[in-house]
Amino acid sequence: MNSLYLPKDSLIHSLDPRTKMIFVAFVVASSFIMNDPALQLLLLVSLFPLVVIAKLVKPYLISIQFLLLFAVLIMTVHGIYNPIGVTPVFEIFGGLTFKYESMVYASVMSFRILVIGTGAVLFVMTTHPSDMASALVKWKVPHSFAFILLSTFQIIPIIAREAKIVMEAQQARCLDVKGNIIQRVKNLVPMFAPLFIITFMKVHQLSYVLECRAFSRKGNKTSLRETNIGSLDYSFLLGMLAVLVFEIYLKLFMMGSFQWTTDALLTYSLIGTWVVCGFMLVKFLVKRFQGKFGGVN
Amino acid sequence: MSEQAIEVKNLTFEYPDTEEPVLKNINFTIDYGEILGIIGPTGAGKSTLAMCVNGLVPQVIQGEIEGEIYVKGMNVHESDVAAMSEHVGFVFQEPENQLSQMTIEEEIAFGMGNLGVPRDEMLVRIKDALSQVGLEGFEERSPLALSGGQQQRLAIAAVLAMRPTIMIMDEPTSMLDPKGKNEVYDVLKNLKAYGMTGIIIDHEVERIAAYCDKVLVLDEGEVKMFGTTEEVFTEIDRLHELTLHAPQVTEFLSQYNRTFHKNAALATTIEKAVRSYESANK
Repeated sequence: MNSLYLPKDSLIHSLDPRTKMIFVAFVVASSFIMNDPALQLLLLVSLFPLVVIAKLVKPYLISIQFLLLFAVLIMTVHGIYNPIGVTPVFEIFGGLTFKYESMVYASVMSFRILVIGTGAVLFVMTTHPSDMASALVKWKVPHSFAFILLSTFQIIPIIAREAKIVMEAQQARCLDVKGNIIQRVKNLVPMFAPLFIITFMKVHQLSYVLECRAFSRKGNKTSLRETNIGSLDYSFLLGMLAVLVFEIYLKLFMMGSFQWTTDALLTYSLIGTWVVCGFMLVKFLVKRFQGKFGGVN
Repeated sequence: MSEQAIEVKNLTFEYPDTEEPVLKNINFTIDYGEILGIIGPTGAGKSTLAMCVNGLVPQVIQGEIEGEIYVKGMNVHESDVAAMSEHVGFVFQEPENQLSQMTIEEEIAFGMGNLGVPRDEMLVRIKDALSQVGLEGFEERSPLALSGGQQQRLAIAAVLAMRPTIMIMDEPTSMLDPKGKNEVYDVLKNLKAYGMTGIIIDHEVERIAAYCDKVLVLDEGEVKMFGTTEEVFTEIDRLHELTLHAPQVTEFLSQYNRTFHKNAALATTIEKAVRSYESANK
């Protein structure tokens, strides 16, 4: 399988792709409505049970690691250097001060990335691309657009293989791929020109094939994969609506009445991301180390 | 006169970027249940001719066309390719370029979906098509995980599921290894048993001799020879003039006759050739 879809037997998997698309939109909207680090952290934590229900904890944690790298960078750099900060919170290395306002700004931004990332990962890993395409068609998205989405998954591995063939062929014609950086950039032309031509030819041929498979035929089209909105979808949608209404209420009327975004929360979340990132770095180094000296033992 | 499966009348076609027509005044007919083999050197216009029959030329691939083509009594130029695809299936040369879906069953269902076949019917047809090409049990796999021969058989299955009466194959085995070729030709043999009408373009004259009822020799856009397999392949000198050759058994008998001044009847299949050789030796 070329997509990120992981077939599992779970409630989230059995939801209609349309419900899940609405869910992603809901997550994005929520992450902007809850414009506060504490609330966003709450949102992130409350999304986690869904990951557990979808039985995707391990693949989720692996994919979210990369987003965490962004979070660490944003929180550290913005926390220190963003000019909106005035109130100092704490200091490292003598001169670098984290300020409250800039930390709030950075936390909102990085938690938003994590929240949206979680929603997207949930969607992508639990939805078969073909189901997504047929759901889009049900939403009156043009058939050809759904096809483009779907065929992308199909053409990427083909292009990757062609790229390898072109590279090897050009190397066999003495193309230097290990030279200095300028040489290598120059070499991109003899690599990409044939690759583009091959890809265009393939797509051209595919267009004839599609024509022969009645792709441009007008009238009703049917799909092998069935997607139905059932009671589970309706309850999920209702749940989302309820949460959304609550969020808006919170935003409009309650924002001033509580103060969860304290210095401690900001500091701990910053240190938390550092610790996790440090852990990842150590793991990475250990792996490299093992790779280098593994053969000796 | 009864209606023919395919009738081509005075067909002339010219691509916009060429000086000379690629097809010149072509005439032939195929009856229902017959399989026509088209042979000829590269660049003779074989693929263009095949694509004319289902309307890809000139509707998708532009050019100047004259003459008329009737498929099952319908004028191809008055119909469009998508509508023709219900009657004429087309299998291309390269297996991989014909596959666009995530799994094998979806690949087969794709054409049917475009025709608006209901889902229950689809499931039946998928099963049928897969058993016809010998790919049962592969439904959930990715088409890219198949071998070349299997991919080409899948492409054939995808066309078969649309239930055309006429099947056109443009060099379906040229990208395949011998095993893959055998796989594809075994499928063809099945189709013939089902009574399907077909056009096959191939360079392997042995296969053409074994599977086709009629042969059309195309050279520089002109029909040089057209007739039953026997008629065409026994005119060895004519074939040699066109830089083509007859099946090896026919070539053998011809050479044998010439070298030993015998008079063995030329045959195109091994079985007939053995008998002919034996009777000439008596």
